[in-house]
Amino acid sequence: MEKVITTCIYCGCGCGLLLHVDGGRIVGASPSITHPMSRGSLCIKGWMAGDFVGHPDRLKSPLIRQGDRLIKATWDEALALTAESLRGIQKEFGPQALGVLTSAKGTNEENYLLMKMARAALGTNNVDHVARLCHAPTVAGLGFALGSGAMTGSIFSLQSSDAILIVGSNTTEQHPLVASHILRARSKGAKLIVVDPRKTRLAELADLWLSPRQGTDVAWINCLLNIIVQRDLADWQFIKERTEGFIETLQAASAYTAEKAEEISGVPAADLVKAASIFGLASRGAIVYAMGVTQHVRGTDIVQALANLALVTGNVGREGTGIYPLRGHQNVQGACDMGALPNVLSGYQVVSSPQVRAKFVEAWRAQLPCEPGLTALEMLWAAESGSLKGLIIVGENPVISYPHTSRVQKALKGLEFLMVSDIFPTETTALADVVLPAACFAEKDGTFTSTERRVQRVRKAVDPPGEARAEWEWICDLTRRLGAKAEYSSPGDVMDEIASLTPSYGGISYERLGPDGLQWPCPTKDHPGTSILHVSRFPHGLARLRPVLYIDPPETPDEDYPFMLTTGRSLYHFHTGTMTRRTSLLDREVPTPFVEINPEDARLMGIRDGTKVRVETRRGSVSVEARLAEGVCKGDLFLPFHFSEAPANALTAQYLDPVSKIAELKVSAARLKKEAP
Amino acid sequence: MKAFLPKHKLPLLLEALRGQMEVIAPVSTDAGPAFVTWQGQPIDLMGKPLSPVTEFLLPHKEALFTYVQEAGRYTFKEEMIPSRLLFGIRPCDLHAIALLDRIFGREPPDQAYFRRRRATALVVQNCTSPGKECFCVGLEAGPEAKDPCDLQLTDIGDGFLCQAETPVGILILNAGRVLLQPALPEHFQEKTKLLQEARRAMPRDRSCSQIRQAMQRADWEALGRECLSCGGCSFVCPVCHCFNILDLGVPDGQRLRCRDSCILSGFSRLTGGANPRRTPGQRLRHWYQEKFEDIPQITGLTGCVGCGRCHLTCPAAINRVDLSVVSRLMGDGSEARR
Ligand code: SF4
Ligand code: SF4
Ligand code: SF4
Repeated sequence: MEKVITTCIYCGCGCGLLLHVDGGRIVGASPSITHPMSRGSLCIKGWMAGDFVGHPDRLKSPLIRQGDRLIKATWDEALALTAESLRGIQKEFGPQALGVLTSAKGTNEENYLLMKMARAALGTNNVDHVARLCHAPTVAGLGFALGSGAMTGSIFSLQSSDAILIVGSNTTEQHPLVASHILRARSKGAKLIVVDPRKTRLAELADLWLSPRQGTDVAWINCLLNIIVQRDLADWQFIKERTEGFIETLQAASAYTAEKAEEISGVPAADLVKAASIFGLASRGAIVYAMGVTQHVRGTDIVQALANLALVTGNVGREGTGIYPLRGHQNVQGACDMGALPNVLSGYQVVSSPQVRAKFVEAWRAQLPCEPGLTALEMLWAAESGSLKGLIIVGENPVISYPHTSRVQKALKGLEFLMVSDIFPTETTALADVVLPAACFAEKDGTFTSTERRVQRVRKAVDPPGEARAEWEWICDLTRRLGAKAEYSSPGDVMDEIASLTPSYGGISYERLGPDGLQWPCPTKDHPGTSILHVSRFPHGLARLRPVLYIDPPETPDEDYPFMLTTGRSLYHFHTGTMTRRTSLLDREVPTPFVEINPEDARLMGIRDGTKVRVETRRGSVSVEARLAEGVCKGDLFLPFHFSEAPANALTAQYLDPVSKIAELKVSAARLKKEAP
Repeated sequence: MKAFLPKHKLPLLLEALRGQMEVIAPVSTDAGPAFVTWQGQPIDLMGKPLSPVTEFLLPHKEALFTYVQEAGRYTFKEEMIPSRLLFGIRPCDLHAIALLDRIFGREPPDQAYFRRRRATALVVQNCTSPGKECFCVGLEAGPEAKDPCDLQLTDIGDGFLCQAETPVGILILNAGRVLLQPALPEHFQEKTKLLQEARRAMPRDRSCSQIRQAMQRADWEALGRECLSCGGCSFVCPVCHCFNILDLGVPDGQRLRCRDSCILSGFSRLTGGANPRRTPGQRLRHWYQEKFEDIPQITGLTGCVGCGRCHLTCPAAINRVDLSVVSRLMGDGSEARR
């Protein structure tokens, strides 16, 4: 038996683990004791991390569409057809008719190569990934406020916080190991304030739980800021020396008195005052947030409001302080870092800058498009309207994971050519013209970047099944067939190129990636990596405070649709469930889709635990089992999105945040009907 | 047979054995010590691997047999079981194996377990420097091996005192005959002294009956609120042994036995959806009940060997030993590690 040290495939915590390999098969997993995040612990998904790898459903050979059927093909046939189709579209309709959706499950190297292929070989900036649906507002909001869209500290440093404000994050379920560090901080005396419409586990353990109405975050956050300034709990020196825009920001916030904020958000004024004094009095305050903040039409504003709060209290740049966006996928941070985004190249270097382009043109020996491309949902809309003709989707299942399922399906069906690479057949591969079988995380080498900017190694433990190949291999092959250069002997080779072109990754190479990995920015070969950002200055000098105002969410409950529906995750599953639902123990924990409802509401409607109900919104409906949950407020419903038989996103809308183009996934007006048994 | 093995000769002994069977030894890795197939890596006999050696007898996931369908008829094939030598296991692990032998040996004996068990030789290393988490002494599982094994080693400074207890143990020593020196009375005195010190270094307040008392006092719901339902405590426990069975693949495939855990809610959920152990607190209570009440009744041995691994792996702020939630003001010993 061998034990291969690698990084967990599921959430952004990026735990270090060992895959146990016996007779060429993965037979188990266990935590790394030395890893700074896991320290000998894992969540249940991590303990089961290798379980899906040898599943018989894995895609084992390339497939090509013939009429209604997908027929086995060779790699050569599949890639030749892909290259020919893409080139045909490019010639006839121009490069803007092509797009690439990369994968937050893929490695940094693969994301880099895909964005290089899109730009250098296809000639388009239409490249994006699932971050659009989770943390685009973080990249936009924190990028504007602090000059970097990344987590400002290390998770471990939470253990030295005095107060932790946790907003829109069901941390114990979605980022269990972060929760573990928060619980340890709590046992050392840190005060926890949890803000969530649901009474989550962490809310039960918190010193204070606030339950604002969905979509009213800007109001209560402004109110905290207002109270903190009024009570003279602000860090005046920090405001003066390190920020700009304070006066305007305070002016905007001062309209949100505790009473006004109570009226909008429903949080009692007294609780708001209490929260403000806990956070204001802390000498080390940290703010942790996740999708409950970002998946809103006003996501970027909410992120800015949180940044305002952290800056006004001087809680950035020190141990135990900072802003901690918790990223969902294990490598969504890396996919962003690698420039799998329509407006930036790797390291957030903007495509519209001639100097940046000149550098990449020289390195890649190819012409590069200068206009920013389309975002993920915009690509699908362009496909719907017929202006986008060819799309490559790598390791993603937008039919289930993107909002408004039926619209996504229609858009993908309308494409002239769709290529999908994945490890299992999905609802999206079913629509493809070419399907490529991919190696999973345990079958290839590379790096992932965790939510705390930690770049870490992923290692091959077993061979991929059948003909499946590591994605970096076919991406290089396809790039060459499309007429651009892509000569690499290994993923380590790719990392060397990334380092040479990406200042924040400049000092990173495989030889240097030990058990702790390296936290970027790591600009030079002798740089130890950066655990805390913005210690003495922000990338653009001063941090920017910006006034933000509360605006009503686009959909509020009404007579026809009296419930407020939010979507989210369960501890036992991940994303669209392609991996976790093939892990027997995880599937057993939560085998069927469910909707959580307040017991009181349920009683009034005659619904019991397990009653079959239909959840309907203006977009569609799904049939699921009801689960009575004390934690859910009256008038709210909670629906996890892992289940293709009851796709939550059949219900969600595609209202977009004007800045980051994220979709409103958290709030939809809905109604509930009992189904005949 | 008794002998003395100078420390620097240890790799040579393993090298000699490696030709005869697969040697599993605790090696040092970047992720901490781990039991793996020894191929010359540096041995780590100081740290205790978090994953216990019982995974070589009861794998996390094992194919019980492969089934193939041909012309409407099924044929079945069992996998080959490799002959293995588990080197450097701890007395607590050995005691856990003795316990598993009793549990899986009850009528009808579990064939899959005993197929592996019979093909496995056990070389135990007595614990002269127990870890901070260890409390085997209170549970009579260590620090000196008490249960039958093939060969017992004690690190007495510059080498190991080797005591073979079975024919297999003698064969193991014979494989390295040229490396050995005669065992002297001083070696035995040193062993006694070191183990006495080790016993004294360990907490004395954690016997089966003391933990039972802690169970009486524990606020299970408060503990359960901290529990993250990771299952880790049962995955690292050398005594935990629950599994589920599933058939993977149609029409051809494998019947798999995978480890399971009573800490997970699906384990006790009934078909109708009701769950007699609904809350994490109830499940945690059941976990202790099984180890400190039920297993002793069935086997005569406590279902815990005091290895402390459950405490090491628990991501929650639960003190798994004295069953307190780690106090909000006073950290406990585990804080040092975090
Ligand atoms: S917390 Fe996240 S990274 Fe860690 S084991 Fe669980 S899913 Fe994996
Ligand atoms: S219960 Fe804990 S201390 Fe006891 S044997 Fe199991 S893991 Fe070790
Ligand atoms: S290790 Fe701790 S958190 Fe995990 S299941 Fe056991 S008691 Fe719960």
